[in-house]
Amino acid sequence: MKAAEFDYIRADSVAAACEALAAAGPGEERKIVAGGQTLVPLMAMRLARPSLLVDIDGIPGLAGIDSVDGVVAIGAMTRQRAAELSPAVRSELPLLAKALRFVGHPQTRNRGTVGGSLVHGDPAAEIPLVAVALDAALEAESTGGRRVCPADGFFETPMVTAVAPDECLVEARFPVWNAGRIGTGFREVASRQGDFAIVAAAAQVALDGDGTCTRVAAALGGVAPRPVRIAALEDALTGTRLEDRAIDAALASVEAVIEPDDDLHATAAYRGRVAKVLLGRAIREARDEALA
Amino acid sequence: MSDRGANYRYVSRKRRAREDRRFIAGKGRFAADIAVPGMKHVALVASPHPRARIRSIDASRALESPGVHSVLTGDELSAETAPLFNGLDIPNVKWFPLAVGMTRYAGEWVAAVVADSRYLAEDAAELVEVDYKPLPAAVEIESLLDSDSPPVHPEHGSNVLVRKNFEWGPVEEDFARSEHTLAYRARWGRSSTVPIETFGVLSRWDPIREILDVWASIQMPNYQEQIANALGIPTNAIRVYNDVDVGGSYGVKRGIKHTVITAYLARKLGMPVRLIEDRLDNMSGGDAHGPDRLFDVTLAFDGDGTIRSMKLRAIDDVGAYPGRGPLQLGKPITALVGPYRLSSVAYEAISVTSNKTGQVPVRGFGQSPTNFMIETGVDLVARRLGIDRMELRRRNLIESHEFPWRIPTGTEYDSGDYRAVLDKTLDLADYDSLVARRDAARAAGKLAGIGIATCLEPGGGNNIFEQLLNEKLEITTFVESCLMRVDMHGNVTAVMSTTTSGQGHETLIATIAGEELERDPDSIRVTHADSLEALPTRSPVASRMAIVLGSATSEAARKIRSKMIKIAAHNLGVGEDRVEYQTGTFFVRGEPARKLEWNEIAGIAHRQFHRLPPGTDPCLQEFSVLQVPGASGQLPNEKKEIQLYPCFSFQAHIPYVEIDPGTGKVEVLDYAIGHDCGTVINPDIVRGMIVGGLAHGIGAALYEKFAYDEDGQFLAGSFVDYLLPSSHEIPMVKDVEHCTPSPKTSLGQKGSGEGGYLGAPAAIASAVNDALAPLDISLAELPMRLCDIEAAIHEKRTERTE
Repeated sequence: MKAAEFDYIRADSVAAACEALAAAGPGEERKIVAGGQTLVPLMAMRLARPSLLVDIDGIPGLAGIDSVDGVVAIGAMTRQRAAELSPAVRSELPLLAKALRFVGHPQTRNRGTVGGSLVHGDPAAEIPLVAVALDAALEAESTGGRRVCPADGFFETPMVTAVAPDECLVEARFPVWNAGRIGTGFREVASRQGDFAIVAAAAQVALDGDGTCTRVAAALGGVAPRPVRIAALEDALTGTRLEDRAIDAALASVEAVIEPDDDLHATAAYRGRVAKVLLGRAIREARDEALA
Repeated sequence: MSDRGANYRYVSRKRRAREDRRFIAGKGRFAADIAVPGMKHVALVASPHPRARIRSIDASRALESPGVHSVLTGDELSAETAPLFNGLDIPNVKWFPLAVGMTRYAGEWVAAVVADSRYLAEDAAELVEVDYKPLPAAVEIESLLDSDSPPVHPEHGSNVLVRKNFEWGPVEEDFARSEHTLAYRARWGRSSTVPIETFGVLSRWDPIREILDVWASIQMPNYQEQIANALGIPTNAIRVYNDVDVGGSYGVKRGIKHTVITAYLARKLGMPVRLIEDRLDNMSGGDAHGPDRLFDVTLAFDGDGTIRSMKLRAIDDVGAYPGRGPLQLGKPITALVGPYRLSSVAYEAISVTSNKTGQVPVRGFGQSPTNFMIETGVDLVARRLGIDRMELRRRNLIESHEFPWRIPTGTEYDSGDYRAVLDKTLDLADYDSLVARRDAARAAGKLAGIGIATCLEPGGGNNIFEQLLNEKLEITTFVESCLMRVDMHGNVTAVMSTTTSGQGHETLIATIAGEELERDPDSIRVTHADSLEALPTRSPVASRMAIVLGSATSEAARKIRSKMIKIAAHNLGVGEDRVEYQTGTFFVRGEPARKLEWNEIAGIAHRQFHRLPPGTDPCLQEFSVLQVPGASGQLPNEKKEIQLYPCFSFQAHIPYVEIDPGTGKVEVLDYAIGHDCGTVINPDIVRGMIVGGLAHGIGAALYEKFAYDEDGQFLAGSFVDYLLPSSHEIPMVKDVEHCTPSPKTSLGQKGSGEGGYLGAPAAIASAVNDALAPLDISLAELPMRLCDIEAAIHEKRTERTE
């Protein structure tokens, strides 16, 4: 468990990081290291073997949370723990605040970053799931400039995202829901606390004055090569009062969207059944919170 | 046994374990802390295939890599060393530290690279080119009984290593007269002890003095003997340093193959060589997996719940290289019927080899799977008869007045009060409230259950059961020794001769010596003699140190005390019977002014020969070497009956769990344990063993599994996939002690090192099954993974809907 040889550059600006990435030869495996909570163990096991490691930990201004005009912008280097404890996240992105508590352990959240988790693209990870649920916009920079990718389409296959090898994610922007009474629900099952989720479910609802659902976002992790929105369920529930019966009926649409796999810890059949159970609970939790 | 009852000064008193100081300060000295000049580092080339022919190994590129000194292969090593020890009589199963001609499991070490650093060694290991011809592997446990399963060791002829049938007591008669029988299957998954510190060893050969120095993270009997046998050097040319701290073991620190690799290389290269396993080396190739068992059991019992007899078949998959592992089928014979009054038992023990990592002894040496098997059966009988599980146990537990109790296998249980411990535990758990809590949870739609396990911890390590599985192992001596001296200033030093892997032996010896000598234990120095300076030890296995080393310590201390009394009597001018000793002062009974102090006697003994009683040797040093107390020292008789371990600790476990019916997730919310290990030497250490053992057992019950796929590929080589419980998964544990002293030991002590591990898996399984009982589900496969529990619930609910 000793990493293979690699070059290491500690960048002092995003531009410098991008230049270092761009300067690397085409055959070079380039990686950005932020908090290192996933990449470093993978390197130690030689499962990841970048030849160039660009460390963005020291770049000023890459960490931080701003709330402006109905959008919470989280810098890529923001520690997961900082986001979890941020008043802006707690008040405006309660779904993300709930999800962050399931990311690893406080010790790893003190080092792990929001951007690192997004770019790693684990299909069961919590932050990507919330990004997909809330239609976050993800901004990346390269020597060619900046571009914004919607979360829908950002996550491609397990551990593969739209961020190119010469790009550095700089910010994730989460739209804030303002209309109506908002409630959120986040549920996941893992063998042990802090493990990667076997299945995770996120839901956010908005209810109008008489309790009718005007907007709902529902997404699942761990049941497909990427986090998935359950659009048909969202459509079916919009306009209802989120009665239990309506939720249960709408959950049938989960099956058409997910493509679960077997692994060591759970079967595909388990994931399929539990996806519905957890999403149902997440929606009920969101509803009850909105009504409270 | 002591006549002082509970009036101990130091024993049983809450005193800080003396080892804690250095560990808490970060000043332990572990194998990886030891560095010698010129030391080189080993990295290993591991087979990616479960079973493959090795066509060729090309190390030329690796040898050209920077800082590389040597690449060792199995062909060279097997030509230069003898095969490693097998516990079974299987001469055609040859075990070498590196694969020879064939790899037998995914992760098996094929070559060892020596370089200036571990980084360089790992770089070079990747350049060793091995040409494999993959072959189908032998994997599934029952298929290993088939004659056409792929042969793991072709020269052996089959994958069955040993198959023994035993019958103790009137089995057929008992079955014939019982009103009911019940057959069931129980499956213990492949888990182990997974210590924080992996195995590590440093070997240095001194060609001038002809001594091999070995510093290792070892916990194993006959270590230096096995090194000597493998290398063909005299046992007295090997010095194993026993003062190396061992960072966790519970049986698994058995790095003989690692040691032979480094020792061979150290001699060949003339350089000190060390091998520190990384986690992957440890989990995939370290040969450190535990028992992997399939039990088929039939119980015979009456309608009132009286269990009369058991027929048991156990298949144990010991992996590719058996070593001592298979003997773990023998130890449970010591307590094969648990704490119950069965009058007969039939046991078929089958050891099979497979294309998996080799098995080593794990905490309890096979007793925990056996306890799980027994307790599963007891719960099933209760469910079948509709008798409360606690009540059923009460009806079958041996009663306190029945000791010593001889079980059908010939072993006598020394002492116990099982019902009292069960009652104490029920009180501790506040059982009626717990039942109310469970029922309320059930009424609210949850699955909730209370577990129960009442089980034994045999202690002492009288391992004659080995002979039941291998007639050639005629070993009946299982000693520990203690050397004790009082120097000219009166300071006491006690010398032991084994490593310590967290059991607190220094505290054990200091406490017992302090008690016997009425000296502050903190003033007593305890050292670990190296293997050239002391008798061999059986090592701290089998919960034996408090029993055997503790009794040896008592005996050495009592000899010191007698000699000091003799010297005092001579100098006080009275007979020995008139001298009394109290807290450092020797005085004439009834005349306290006529006295000599401890230090004065020590001075006389060391410096004033003229004041010694005639015929007395100078100085104060005594030695005690003890066979296991109460051992017959004989081989089993023709009926295969034999007294095995001498002391029997008892545990009652009552956990409370809730299960999420939607996800199958089990939460252990409460845990009460009652425990009787006779006289407790140090309460903190015993509690540590209990709680740590519970955590270990909860891991085996719910999380831990060294999983393989059906082709034999290893799936759990990291902590992402081999799931150890963390503090989140372990509830607060309430414990209560009960003390039934053993009549066989110096102070009434029994073993406690296997702790909660021996009952927790059974108790958690019992709780899960109680939670699932309303759905008429009973599971008996460990670990009980959440997806398996959910699948069983789903299946039952689907059945009911249909």
